[in-house]
Amino acid sequence: MDINMTEEVQNLLKDEGFKKEEIQEIIEKAESNGKKLKHKSEDTFIAKDDSENLTTYAVYTISGEGINLNNVYSHKMHIDGLTGGELHEVENDDQSEWICQKCNETALERNVDMSYMGVTRAGPAIVCPKCQEFYVSDGVAKTLKTAESILEEKRA
Amino acid sequence: MDIINKVESLCPECLRKIEGVKYVEDGKVFIKKECDDHGSFTALISNDVDHYRKMEECFDVDRKRVKAPLTDVDKGCPFDCGICPSHKQDTCLAVVEVTDRCDLDCTYCFANSSMDKSLDPDMETIRKMFETVKKCQNDPTCIQISGGEPTLRDDLPEIIKMGREMGIDHIELNTNGRRIAKDQEYFDKIASAGIDSIYLGFDGVSDDVYMQRTGKKLFDVKSEVINRCEKADIGVVLVPLVAKNYNLHETGKIIKFASNKVPTVRGVHFQPVFYSGRSPSMLEGKITIVELLEAIEDQTNGQLKVENFTPSLMPTAHCGTTCLTLVNNGEFIPLTNTSLGAAKSAFDVASKTKNSIMGRWKGSEKEKEDDDSSCCGEIIAKGSCCEKQIDVTSLDTSCSNSEGGWADFIEMSKDNYLTISMMAFQDVWSYERERVENCCIHVVTENGKFIPFCNYNLTNCKGEYLYRNTG
Repeated sequence: MDINMTEEVQNLLKDEGFKKEEIQEIIEKAESNGKKLKHKSEDTFIAKDDSENLTTYAVYTISGEGINLNNVYSHKMHIDGLTGGELHEVENDDQSEWICQKCNETALERNVDMSYMGVTRAGPAIVCPKCQEFYVSDGVAKTLKTAESILEEKRA
Repeated sequence: MDIINKVESLCPECLRKIEGVKYVEDGKVFIKKECDDHGSFTALISNDVDHYRKMEECFDVDRKRVKAPLTDVDKGCPFDCGICPSHKQDTCLAVVEVTDRCDLDCTYCFANSSMDKSLDPDMETIRKMFETVKKCQNDPTCIQISGGEPTLRDDLPEIIKMGREMGIDHIELNTNGRRIAKDQEYFDKIASAGIDSIYLGFDGVSDDVYMQRTGKKLFDVKSEVINRCEKADIGVVLVPLVAKNYNLHETGKIIKFASNKVPTVRGVHFQPVFYSGRSPSMLEGKITIVELLEAIEDQTNGQLKVENFTPSLMPTAHCGTTCLTLVNNGEFIPLTNTSLGAAKSAFDVASKTKNSIMGRWKGSEKEKEDDDSSCCGEIIAKGSCCEKQIDVTSLDTSCSNSEGGWADFIEMSKDNYLTISMMAFQDVWSYERERVENCCIHVVTENGKFIPFCNYNLTNCKGEYLYRNTG
């Protein structure tokens, strides 16, 4: 399987310190075990890899030419679980844009507790109601990264 | 007795250069030194050798020397101060004393203030002192106007203005706050002249403490200064002198008080008592850094722990410690920890300390936002719904008890930093040449010299100065 990407995405990988091979591995794994999110109306997918200190996400599309990598991002925070502990139905759930491919369930936007360096706060994630797998969007990951930097005291 | 290293020190009687050893006994660190004429002297340096060594492990700075040394090496450290070419460290803060006079007659005062107005340097002399700063200190230039009590001078606003016009980048004012608290017009003049922050003597949150040192009830005065600074958007650093049998029991309350006044109060800077100048002759009030840290841990119920204080980017690992904490709804979120190792920084010590003095300790609005904060500012400003925590009103009740999320955390962090630090000044008992050679706080003298703070205030046990008042 080969991965195509624009120069912009190539630079992103370089800037963020990701290797092409590890991203490829994440995608291949998701393609083989089905553990990924699929957009409701487009052929766009989000795969992820949870290693001990970093969660990495790959956003990609599949076309005739193969796999096109659109975006890569990560966060160091650990997702502890749903804020409040349980998942209940909410009115706007049918507006969700993502489907958990493995469970074929609509994935829902919910607050989850995320911890880093001893501090726990809530933030939104996309959650499959069945397998309870959590995914974080690019925008949220940016926020988390800033918070991580603050906690690492990079301001000084 | 486990010897750490040899030290070069001074005789507390005759101020002659003598040798000594730093050693460990019962887990504590001492310096023992001997003068041929006056016998041997032992001083406690740290109550906990493990902590002492940890500070060394966590200390990692690059150094830069002053722009231009002003004296020659002749008799050797500490007798050639001015700054001499062998001094290893650039200035991070230049102290400019504009008067010896003071309106408080404290039982303890390292400056040994008097009341003779005729001794005040005139404007031309102060101009020369500022010129010395511009000549010697690398940019940006940071000064503290000190004394005596600088606000006894009616022309203080003109002094500040002159410093500004001469291109001094940061000017802070060391004061007891009495005049600021009662003379709004005077304070307005200081503020508009361009003062950056107030370095406020603040020994406690109860009048008992002030009565003991000054014979006056000063807590309301201090509070009023903070109120006025808040309105003028001028940052305040609270500066408690700390000693046993005095205010050690109030350190936790002082920090709590400061946390309620963030962001106007930017920091608390503890100064453990040191025995130079006018001081009670008994040494029993003396306190080491680790004792102070343990008191803080105890009095904040463990919210701020000993390990949250890392070595300040100061002359040496043993000159001071600093904890940077966020204050969120009365809860401390310390951002520093010795387990994280040395502060990772390519900056040299003076630049980094200057940035800290100029940035974090200034009024909130004037703070120059660095990359990180402007970046998070952008994120918040864009405010896409996916970045904010989901609005709980649209969710069921199980989510409604969640407090602010990470986006709110970032928003909060922009304005809720508190720096808690302490600096262990040296006296003739604890004196180590290595520490003073690396000193970055320099007093500017009227005859155009730069003298490391601890040397400038150093006295023998009879209160006779090595440098201060010696011309």
